Amino acid sequence: MKTRATIVMYHGRLAREWKAKTRARCPCYKMEFVVEHSYLIPLLPLLGAIIAGLFGAKVLKQRSHWPIWLGVGASAVMAIVLLVGMLTHNTDHKTLYFFSHWFTWINAGDASTGIFNVSAGAFLDPLTAVMLTVVCGIGFLITVFSKGYMHGEAGYFRFFAYLGLFIFAMCMLVMGDNLIVLYLGWEGVGLCSYLLIGYYYDKPAAREAAKKAFIVNRIGDLGFAIGILLTFYCFGTVSFFGDMGANPGFLQKIAEMSMVGPDRLEFWIPFFLMIGAFGKSAQFPLYVWLPDAMEGPTPVSALIHAATMVTAGVYMIVRLSALFVGNEAAMITIAIVGAFTALWAGLIALRQTDLKKVFAYSTVSQLGFMFVGVAVLSPVAAVFHLITHAFFKALLFLSSGVVMHATGGELDMRKMSGLKKLLPKTRILMLIGCLALSGFPLLAGFWSKDEIVHAASTKSLLLYGVLLFTAVLTAYYTFRLYFRVFEGPEVIPQSHHAGHDKHDDHQHADHQHDDHQHADHQHADHQHADHGHHNHGHHNHEPMSMMLPLFVLAIGALLAGIINLPFAAGIKEHSLGHFLSQSPSFVLGLQQVEKTYPAGLSETDHLGFGHAPTGEQAFDIVPLIIGGAAAIVGIFIAYLLHLKNRPKADELAGKVGFIATAIDAKFWVDEIYNAIIIAPLRAIGGLLWAIDRYVVDLLVFLVGFIPQLTGYIVKRTTQRGYLQGYALSMLLGLVVILLWVFV
Amino acid sequence: MVDPHIAFSGAFQTLAAVESNPTGIVATAPLAPAIVVALCVVAGIATWLLLPGKREAAVRRIGGIILLATGLVFGAILVRWTTQLGGMSVYFWGFSAIAIFASVRVITHTKPVYSALYFVLTVFATAGLFVLMWAEFMAAALVLIYAGAILITYVFVIMLASEATTGAVGAAAEEVGSEHDLLSRSPFIASIIGFALAGLLIFLILDKGAQIPTPNRPVAGDLGSAQELGRNLLEENAINVQLAGVILTVAMVGAITLARRRVMVTPHDRSIETVVSPGTPVEDNPHSIPVYGTMNPRHKAYPET
Amino acid sequence: MPEIFTNIALQHYLIVGGLMFAIGMIGFMTRRNLIVMFLSSELMFQGAAINFVAFGAYWGKMSGQSFVIFILAIAAAEAALALAIIVLLFRQKHTVDSQAFRELRG
Repeated sequence: MKTRATIVMYHGRLAREWKAKTRARCPCYKMEFVVEHSYLIPLLPLLGAIIAGLFGAKVLKQRSHWPIWLGVGASAVMAIVLLVGMLTHNTDHKTLYFFSHWFTWINAGDASTGIFNVSAGAFLDPLTAVMLTVVCGIGFLITVFSKGYMHGEAGYFRFFAYLGLFIFAMCMLVMGDNLIVLYLGWEGVGLCSYLLIGYYYDKPAAREAAKKAFIVNRIGDLGFAIGILLTFYCFGTVSFFGDMGANPGFLQKIAEMSMVGPDRLEFWIPFFLMIGAFGKSAQFPLYVWLPDAMEGPTPVSALIHAATMVTAGVYMIVRLSALFVGNEAAMITIAIVGAFTALWAGLIALRQTDLKKVFAYSTVSQLGFMFVGVAVLSPVAAVFHLITHAFFKALLFLSSGVVMHATGGELDMRKMSGLKKLLPKTRILMLIGCLALSGFPLLAGFWSKDEIVHAASTKSLLLYGVLLFTAVLTAYYTFRLYFRVFEGPEVIPQSHHAGHDKHDDHQHADHQHDDHQHADHQHADHQHADHGHHNHGHHNHEPMSMMLPLFVLAIGALLAGIINLPFAAGIKEHSLGHFLSQSPSFVLGLQQVEKTYPAGLSETDHLGFGHAPTGEQAFDIVPLIIGGAAAIVGIFIAYLLHLKNRPKADELAGKVGFIATAIDAKFWVDEIYNAIIIAPLRAIGGLLWAIDRYVVDLLVFLVGFIPQLTGYIVKRTTQRGYLQGYALSMLLGLVVILLWVFV
Repeated sequence: MVDPHIAFSGAFQTLAAVESNPTGIVATAPLAPAIVVALCVVAGIATWLLLPGKREAAVRRIGGIILLATGLVFGAILVRWTTQLGGMSVYFWGFSAIAIFASVRVITHTKPVYSALYFVLTVFATAGLFVLMWAEFMAAALVLIYAGAILITYVFVIMLASEATTGAVGAAAEEVGSEHDLLSRSPFIASIIGFALAGLLIFLILDKGAQIPTPNRPVAGDLGSAQELGRNLLEENAINVQLAGVILTVAMVGAITLARRRVMVTPHDRSIETVVSPGTPVEDNPHSIPVYGTMNPRHKAYPET
Repeated sequence: MPEIFTNIALQHYLIVGGLMFAIGMIGFMTRRNLIVMFLSSELMFQGAAINFVAFGAYWGKMSGQSFVIFILAIAAAEAALALAIIVLLFRQKHTVDSQAFRELRG
């Protein structure tokens, strides 16, 4: 390695020496504490989950959020301390990382078979710090929001216990220094996702959605597991970086290898890992579970299915970028899948009428952007977009949660309009979120999305066109939602019972909890006879405990862009890109890129890995203008069709009837899967069932029937209750024995 | 006085000398297995015919005659065999014949009372055999206990448990009695198996009998003395005597518990206490089964219909 | 009266005892009257008793006769209990037909 860092091992003499040194040199001794006790970050939420899970039902009841608040909050503080410490860690070295070894988890095999050694420990580098801050920080905000949102639910403690478990698993995922720990977290978040989607398990739709999410993720995870096995088979280790010295991890090994072709097994590892990422991050063939996952409570949608878990695939590819970027075929595959998913999901989102479904497809689409970012050799842009997306998408989901709260669980945008009077604060927040999502200039989404689009433009014009078009679509469907719901004539869903009847899917349980809410209100306010009406203004639909996290998220959605502005060389030094470039993953990734593309390495590629370009960088404002223009065009179309002249939208849709129908049907993907996968499987299952039932069971029955028949015959012929019959049998036996013995 | 040992000794002497034993030395097996089998088959069929059933009285009589003939043949063969070796006393033959005949009548008579009386005859014959074996005390005890005590009980029970005769059954129209007395249960199989056992026993006794070792002590003359028996009982079998006493006591208590009757009083005639049978003991057992003042049949030990 | 109880004599007595046993057994199996059935079982006791006494005489020991005493005791006990049971059964069904009591049937 060109840039060697001090290897910081946190045990024994080395640790003490390092402690003494850093204490003298580095003011951020708080970070030192975090590094030394990094196990607390996943452990505290886990403890909170255990406490909430064990004592929530009987002891804590509606106070079950406290252990989670405390656990996740402490983790969030530690994560921020770590991040700040790393940012201010004044080191001359190009790489910045800490190992924190907890214990040896698995130690198997010997020299002849290969040593399978898995250490449970944290690998803390800028990437991990950023991810931890996102996970714990946004996680904490969402747990705060959930207190108000989930108030009065039957399984209140269960919700928070799952949430704590999820934060634990997600922390393990981003902190693990090897694939096995990453996989542990990977499966852990999948489990929590399953549990939380199926939170309203008495609803069939929620159960089905949970099963669907779990099964679709199994397909991806199978690929991921094969990838891990192949990694160990090829490299003899599953550790990312080993100890950065004598025992290199597989990322260093692949970096030192020459180019691998399709004839080598190493070539195929990224493809298998990619399948896992596509499953977890809801990319094209495997995205179908994410829209259905909106059956879960809205905070879950915000945290797991928008901000954190679904980005695990992006994180994994960024973390293993040394393995991926050297493999051109894999990168092209990811780029195609990502771009296609972005466009595909953007198209479907155009005609969704359910608020959460729109955002779900939007999430799929934005994840596609992130994958493209990784694929066009710009992992910094991908991580940047990941962060900003976490802010504004969580904001959007939570805001729609507030809308649901206020409208009695109604989420159909056709049934509501002009809610700006009812929910003034939410309207502002929603507007900020929508602007950020659509990439309106100077908001968070603008910078991050533009960086990806710009990076893509240097690789392929087609890719650039697709992304730009998708950006227009994004702006359009986002503002279609906004204009429909908050602007225009005021239409408030009058009775949530009507909504109850028609929307017997995911709103159903929210009704219940809403009923609780209203019951409470009714106690407080008796003259409020029809509590289905919300326009009396008697009670506040925007309680502070729910709005406060939204404000924080809104600030993030507004300003998160400044962490990685594309211009101003002075700021560059402290930008996200510069920070991330100290991560060993990025260093190795850049090495790989340099090796793979010796000639055609552009300035953007350096930038993509967070490295300042060698030459003078000409700041180009044109891509920014184009990106901003795309957003504004989209917003303007939405304004025309959904605020100014709403019937026109339906008119237009009528003109392109087939396309609209196709989009409405979500391109029949579920139906196609049903026809080509599920139906044949079901048929095979039916056949096997028939074989089992009529052949195997018949044999079993026959085998069982023989003794049964014998027993019946014997019973009917001998066990007749006649005393003398028994005596006769006894005597017969006696005679036979005597004959046997003496004759 | 005629020496019983030589009473029959000359009867088949010539035959034996000529046919089987020219040297006068007896072969170990007096009966070929085939003859035993044949005799047993014939006896079995005869017993089948003789046992009560839906047959003509004449058929039963034929069966009796065949069985008698078979017994005589068997006895004759045994006598011929024995005579060469000094013979058995004529009393043995007599008592044995009476015992076997009476036994057959016990199981073939259609009237239980007659069966019991034939059983008394069997007991007497057995007592005679005991006397032949110098067991005079046992003979007396057998007669006293069996014929005097047990059989009287049987006769009592026969009278107690008598029921109205169901009249003629099947072909045995001239006989009068209950159906279960007039009909046997699977007589053929039982006869065959029973005589298979008998044949097996005879064969075994005759085949293996010679191998029984000869006692080195000749029989003492005091075998029949009651003193010797008492000494043996109380010296060598003291524990068994105690156990026998316990068994008898338990049996007595059990018999009393089982057979006594309960008093059943219906609520509406509490004043009239119906004592169904005499000697009903005062009920002092907390687990006693009859409950005064209830009609619940479950509270009765034995539903008396 | 001979002082020696010979092997041959022993065999004869055993045969008589065996025959009585077999006849008793046939009676037990064929007769349907419970009382007669128990009489048949007494016959079987008799056959066994003859064998005991015969062996006792053969060996010149009193044990054979001692055991006949026990047989008598057991027979008496059995007779008492059996007859009590018969009385009981008769009270239940007003019959002593063994075929009538088949509650043990499978």
